[in-house]
Parts: sequence; structure tokens; C-alpha cells
Amino acid sequence: MTNLELISKLNNLKKVKPDQKWLDTNREFLLAQISNSSVGSLSPWKSLIINLSSLSKAFAQPVYALGIFVLMLISGALLGQQALSKTKPNDSLYIARIIAENVKVNTTLNTEERNKLALQYASNHAQDIVAILADPEFNTLDNSDEVAKLNTSFNKEVKTAKSRISNLNNSVASRQELAQKNSIKNSIPEDRDIIIADSSKDSRGISISIDKNLVENIASSGEKISIGDKTTGVSEVLKASTTITATTIDLKSSSTLEIISPSAAANTILDEAQKLVDSKDYDQASSKLKEVEEIIK
Amino acid sequence: MPLKLVKKFKDKQGLSRLKSRDKEAFIEVYDANVEEINRFVYFKIGNREEANDLTSMIFLKAWNHIQNKTLEDAKTLRALLYKIARNSIIDYYRDTGSKIRATFSLDDENHKIDVEDDKVATPDRLDEEANLELIRRQLPQLKEEYREVIIMKFINDLSLEEIADISGKSKGNIRVLLHRALNALRELVEGEKK
Repeated sequence: MTNLELISKLNNLKKVKPDQKWLDTNREFLLAQISNSSVGSLSPWKSLIINLSSLSKAFAQPVYALGIFVLMLISGALLGQQALSKTKPNDSLYIARIIAENVKVNTTLNTEERNKLALQYASNHAQDIVAILADPEFNTLDNSDEVAKLNTSFNKEVKTAKSRISNLNNSVASRQELAQKNSIKNSIPEDRDIIIADSSKDSRGISISIDKNLVENIASSGEKISIGDKTTGVSEVLKASTTITATTIDLKSSSTLEIISPSAAANTILDEAQKLVDSKDYDQASSKLKEVEEIIK
Repeated sequence: MPLKLVKKFKDKQGLSRLKSRDKEAFIEVYDANVEEINRFVYFKIGNREEANDLTSMIFLKAWNHIQNKTLEDAKTLRALLYKIARNSIIDYYRDTGSKIRATFSLDDENHKIDVEDDKVATPDRLDEEANLELIRRQLPQLKEEYREVIIMKFINDLSLEEIADISGKSKGNIRVLLHRALNALRELVEGEKK
């Protein structure tokens, strides 16, 4: 007989039970014995308090555990990111920094903020790479493979930065355009007549007056104008007035210029930095990248 | 996980109700544990009537113990019942003057035991009954501490932690004790078969 067989036979001894009659009698006896020192039945309030306190006791531990876990996760992420942000591209932990930064970028919901963050990271990476390339102990002929890799990484970072600038530019432009449209829309009163015709003015015919400011506003917002039963596009109305069209173009061009200029400057500086790195003028490249950083801020 | 939480909630609720002297809660505890405790006492002392009396007393003592609010954790309720049972058995031995050797038999007319019998008597079934009877006969021959751990672990399905808590030993000690107890019982059973 093996121990397993013996255990299974011992398990069968569970079938040994006291007889039901004794169980019932003893139950009654016990109830009678404890009745003197017990309460009949708990009041609803007492039951409610017991249930609530039991609920809080039962769930307190998982809630605390979850809270501590979340706290550790947040503090770990913050401290970890701070520690990782000091790693350099030739460090083994640099990949962890990249992952942490990617996580942060991807978890940023606001598109503009996300682009800004990604741009800032790309700029930092480029600066770190330049700092390492400027190190004469690292940038040697023996280490040419590593140097070539870093050069490729630098070009990649510059490309990323440029694409992020372009994205940022687009999102800022669309946001401003939307804001402008909204403000114009709000300034247009509903059901206001913009063209007033009066045939009884004098004997020469019909006198037409156009509310220029209103047509100008509607032209910018892209809305339709209704003349009697006919609805017509703003452009048709604008044909009648070159002044209005010119004003609209002026408005559009001035607002676009205002948005593009800093990003164009950043792009130009990045191109210059790239050329400086190619010509191994790392100090100048570094200062150019710092300029980009200033523009981003 | 949710089932664990529900069980935990029910344990806490039961304990609070017990502390509030809710007799219904105590009867629930009685219903849930009486067979197990009775079986433990019966296999320890080997006398059905005495086992029944001791079981009654154990539950009364447990009620008084709970009223004194010394029980902090619902998990220890089962352990408390076993601890009271062990002490009651020691008192019983002391009162009867000497340690009574337990003897068990299915044919004991004076001390009937209910055995669930849901199968038709076949040769295999009879063989199994014979084996059970053999183990039953050999169990009292074991050392007291061996018998106790075998009853708690393999008959009443207590965990190692619970047994360690009840007997005041470490889990490692209980594991060793169980191993030795099983070997000793196996030798006794095989010895009688020969």
C-alpha cells in the first residue's frame, strides 16, 4: 500500500458522522443554553452597521493594495524618468529612457502638447548625441562604427524634430483658424439684411446698399448669403466688391505668416545644425540646437 | 478573486454577528462545524457517547469564548474550535484517570455511527469497507500526536497553516510529523494484513 492509497482511504473516513437525531437534539439543547446570553435577533440598524463595517474590512485590503500599487507606479515613473533622463545615447539604459519618453508622449492626450513634448525630446536627444560626438575620447577612428551610428541617430532625431514642427504648425494653424471662425460667427447677427434695395428712391431706378463689414465677416466664415428666395455663395457677392476680397486676402495672409515664422526659423536652424554636425563642428551645432530649444519654449 | 472577497466579507460579517451575541450566527457556525469537530473528538477518544457530550461542551465553551471578545479574526474561528476540542480532550483524559485507548468498530451496537452508504454492496465495495475497517482499527494504535495530525489533515482536510496554528508548531514540523505518521500507519496496516 502506497502513501497515496492510504491517504485516499483516510479521506473516506469523512463519511463517519454522528447520527442525525443526536445532531438535532444537540442543536436544540445548544440554542436553549445560549438563549440567556444572546440577543433574540439583531435590529435592522445593527445589521446594517455590521454589513457596512464587514464590507469595509473585507475590501479595505485590496483598496489599500491598489492605492499603494498606483502610488508606487506613479512615483516609480517620475523618479525613474528623472534618473533615466540623465542617461546618454551610449549608455545601456538609454533604451529605457527612450521607452519611458515614448510612453509619456503616447499618453499625452492633447495633440499640440504631444507634438511639443516629442519635439523637445528629439531636440534633447540631438543635443546629447552632439555632446558625445564632441567628446574626443569617444570620437576616435577606433570607434568609427559607433560614431557612424550616432550620426545616423542624429539625422533621425533632426528628421523627427522637423516632422513634429510641421505637425505642431498644422495643429496651431487649424486651432487659430477655428477660433477666428468662431469669433466671426459670433459677431454675425442672425437674420440681418445685408443688401437693402429700394425702388421708390428716385426716378433713376433701384438703389442698392451693401453692408460691407457684414459681407466681409461672412466671407471669412464661409457661410451662404440668402437674397430673396435664392441662396448664393459669398464669392459671387464678393465679385461685386474688389475691396472686400482684398481685405479678406490680407486677413488670411497676415494670420498665416504669424503662425509659420517661428517654426520656419526652427527648421532653418535644424538644417544648419545638421550641416555643422556633418562638418564636425559640434560646438556650433550644440549652440544651434540650444537655439531651437529656446524657440520651442 | 471576487469569490475570495465575498468569502472574506461573509467571514467578517459572521464574526461581527457573533460578537453581537447573535445566536443565529452561532447556530450557523455550529451547523458548519459540528460534524467535523465531532469526528475529530470521536477519532481521538474512540467513544461515540463521550464524543457527543464533549462536542456539546466544546460549542458551549466556544460561545463563551466569543462573548469575551477574545476572537479577533474570523479565520481563527475554526482553529478556536479545534483548540477548545484539544483542551477538552486533555481534560477528559485527566478526569477519567488514564489515557483511554480508542477502539473503533462498525459493529458497535452501543455506539452507532452513521456512515453514508450510497453504493450497492459489490465485492470491490466490500473490499474497500474491509480496508477502511483495517485503518480504523489501526488508527488508535498510533502515537497521540501522529493520530491527531492524520485526523486533521487527511480526514478533516485542515491546511498545514491551520494545523500549525492549532498545535502551536511550525509548518515544517507539521510536515515532518505528517510524513512520519503516514509511514507509521502504513506499517501498522501492512503488518496486520500479513
